[in-house]
Amino acid sequence: MSSRRSGSGASRITDDQIIDLVSKLQQLLPELRNRRSNKASASKVLQETCNYVRSLHKEVDDLSDRLSRLLSTIDDDSPQASIIRSLLN
Amino acid sequence: MSPPQQPSSTNPNSLKIRLTHRFLHNLNNLNKKRSNLDNTQIHQRYNRVKLAAYASMAHVVGSRRAWSRAILWKIRNRKVSTRHKRVDHKPTNHHHARSIKRRTTNHSNPKREYVDPNGNSGQEVKLRKLVPGVETMDACGLLDETADYIKCLATQVEVMRNLVDLFSTI
Repeated sequence: MSSRRSGSGASRITDDQIIDLVSKLQQLLPELRNRRSNKASASKVLQETCNYVRSLHKEVDDLSDRLSRLLSTIDDDSPQASIIRSLLN
Repeated sequence: MSPPQQPSSTNPNSLKIRLTHRFLHNLNNLNKKRSNLDNTQIHQRYNRVKLAAYASMAHVVGSRRAWSRAILWKIRNRKVSTRHKRVDHKPTNHHHARSIKRRTTNHSNPKREYVDPNGNSGQEVKLRKLVPGVETMDACGLLDETADYIKCLATQVEVMRNLVDLFSTI
């Protein structure tokens, strides 16, 4: 990832800023969190970030599917429905 | 159900609580619209739940972030365009047409192939496609938005997982 690119506005992006943000990002990634922050290169962090975002999207899809099926099986008059209703109010 | 007040930080526990409230609220609205169930309805419901997930994420964060603004814009655009499809027989709603035009001219064309003059790595380009709203951001902004997006997305996934567990055991 290029760190020599200058910002479009008045502020110039320093290498330190990028390094800070990359390490901050690394802390959020489940794969790289355990390693000491200096070990992972920026491109590795970016790659892991892409993979992680993709896996999160897929999880949302999968959980939406399960949730929609569960919601459709809950009968309006059943005790489950009244529990959910009390949760929502 | 009144939504909790908006704190300025995205401290994880309060974010989770706000996301849960908002998502449950959206799911409840979804459930009320229920009709006969067959295969097409199930797929429709799946899409609505997915939309509710992203919508509640974006609403909780509001306009503070580029990614949430992009999602909210997409949702509003969808709603306006479906309204247009149904209202064929009426004369064109000029206000809507003008406001749509304004929105599209304000945004740079996202479909155009993103070519970076500085020859950035393919990973950055891929990331820009994954995170909404960051197509034309600089490197710093991109990383910052991505971090926030990941935080919120992971929390949303946790909320949904908890709900699935809850609904499948009661």
